[in-house]
Amino acid sequence: MSDKHNAQEVESGEPVSRRKVLAWLTSMGLFGSAIVSIVSNLVFIKPRATYGKPTRFAIGTPEQFPPGTRIALGDQKVAVIREGDKMAAISVVCTHLGCIVGVADTGFACPCHGSRFDQDGNVTGGPAPKPLPWYELSLAPNGELEVDKGKEIESGKWFTV
Amino acid sequence: MVYGMSKNNQKNNFLNTVTEMPKAIWDSVFRNNLPHTDLGRSKTSFTNFFLHMHPVKVHKHTLKPWFTMGLGLMSLFLFMILSVTGVLLMFYYVPSTTQAYDRMLDLRGSVAFGVFLRNMHRWSAHGMVAAVFLHMCRVFFTGSYKKPREFNWVLGVGLFLLTLFSSFTGYLLPWDQLAFWAITVGTAIAGYAPVVGEQMRFLLLGDTAVGQEALLRFYVLHVAVLPLVMTGMVAIHFWRIRKDGGLSRPDDADIVITPMPAVAANVMPATIEQPQLNFLSKARYGIQGLVRGPFTKVGNVPDNTVFSYPNLLLAELFVFVLTVAGVVLVSAYFNAPLEEPVNVLHPPNPAKAPWYFLGLQEQVSYSAFWGGVGIPAIEVIILMLVPYIDRGKKGVGKWFAKERLLANTLFLIFVVVNILLIIIGTFFRGQNWEFVSPF
Ligand code: HEM
Ligand code: FES
Repeated sequence: MSDKHNAQEVESGEPVSRRKVLAWLTSMGLFGSAIVSIVSNLVFIKPRATYGKPTRFAIGTPEQFPPGTRIALGDQKVAVIREGDKMAAISVVCTHLGCIVGVADTGFACPCHGSRFDQDGNVTGGPAPKPLPWYELSLAPNGELEVDKGKEIESGKWFTV
Repeated sequence: MVYGMSKNNQKNNFLNTVTEMPKAIWDSVFRNNLPHTDLGRSKTSFTNFFLHMHPVKVHKHTLKPWFTMGLGLMSLFLFMILSVTGVLLMFYYVPSTTQAYDRMLDLRGSVAFGVFLRNMHRWSAHGMVAAVFLHMCRVFFTGSYKKPREFNWVLGVGLFLLTLFSSFTGYLLPWDQLAFWAITVGTAIAGYAPVVGEQMRFLLLGDTAVGQEALLRFYVLHVAVLPLVMTGMVAIHFWRIRKDGGLSRPDDADIVITPMPAVAANVMPATIEQPQLNFLSKARYGIQGLVRGPFTKVGNVPDNTVFSYPNLLLAELFVFVLTVAGVVLVSAYFNAPLEEPVNVLHPPNPAKAPWYFLGLQEQVSYSAFWGGVGIPAIEVIILMLVPYIDRGKKGVGKWFAKERLLANTLFLIFVVVNILLIIIGTFFRGQNWEFVSPF
């Protein structure tokens, strides 16, 4: 019965029926709420605040790192290097996919996919796309060295103590 | 039917109510006795849920063990074993970076069957990756993704990816060295995706670095989101198999029936009009529902089908017992790996993923973007488009059909290359991922 009703309407080109308007509104409503819920779910699972580690931290006095030192600091994920009176803080996070590179006298080597870096962190082999970044070193008034991982500096810019 | 009869000659006194209760309860649950006649089999198929999920009758070709090798079923049963053992493990597991590892050790020390359950869960997961992949190979090499099964293949590719992602999220949970470095590397790969990469990595980790938030997120994905999505997709996968007329089979497996003239169809009230699928003009739609394929025997033609009960059910039971037995046996003799507790400064050297990701690991050791994002994305897209690219109608339902030489060869190359990458990653990579010889 109602089919006939619709069919007539289509043929005669009469104004849209109430049913059509309702169907249209309903679909728009459904579609709209689907979009809104997808977006809001994404917003929900995206944390607003993260509690990362501070980017600036003290690592000790220069005397604690005698010339020839090449050691990695665990929590901070930087290698502290001292040659003579020149010092540097080089990231030990592999620029390929984030593994921690091993520190050796000859440079750095990554156990995950075989990236290799020279003593200054420049890529010498493997898939790493970038050299290991250098971070700014400074001497705080209390005589302790500070690394600022928020400040990347040019490779080879040594800090003289 | 059964209670209908007993109602008539039943006296509603207390004694009868009590004495007949067990039977009344039994009959209300199992509305038919075990069928021994064909009529009974049909009836039971409609009243029993587990039979109703199956067609009443199934083609003989489908039951040939070497056609499917039971691989899809095996995937399903492994998924079921994983769900059961996984829920049990949840009673003891805590998704906390400080507790997860200790909980794994507790399973060894203070939980009855703890290690065994963990073994079953881990080995079933490995088994499922293998079974799903082999199932995909079987579907390809038998040309079973062709019309009208194209979309079921696409769903299948989705299921394969979800299976891999479930395994990945699963082996992160013990929070051992493998877990930590796998999350680190895995989410870093996600970060290489164009445009949305960094956002995706942040959403996965819930933080800027790998830690508690990441563990919690992967836990939720592993125990709730992924299993639910997969259950839904498996249900649709199975539904479509039935609606596609059961499994594929070669043309010569059926007698070709010339389409009934429209007049004749009109006199058959129980026949449902055939939708516009003229490629299957031999199809009949009978009272058994809109099921493609010659399930309704029309006229005096040879019947190539047998009743699902007991034929198909027994075959399924056999695969089930085989799967469970295999998992139990392996779990009794081999313990699931547990590496050292997390050491954020020292990845294991070499840090190797489980075997099924070693091909990917080998790929990213050449290029993070191409190996981890670009090539896998291209592979997935091509896989999903396979049924829309290869539109030939020949060679369906036969292993390595001559007509499909090109398609099968290309797919074989894809399979072999991936297996080779896995072999290289497994045996030819040592300290610092350098080439070593296993010999
Ligand atoms: C969770 C994973 C999966 C489960 C539980 C599953 C289950 C099944 C089962 C039980 C069958 C019946 C026939 C058989 O046992 O071979 C089947 C058929 C089929 N599967 Fe899957 N499957 C899965 C993944 C896949 C994948 C990865 C693909 C391909 C990309 C796929 C494509 C198909 C197709 C096209 C059919 C119909 C085959 C035919 O008609 O011969 N499935 N699946
Ligand atoms: S993470 Fe270092 S080589 Fe891949």
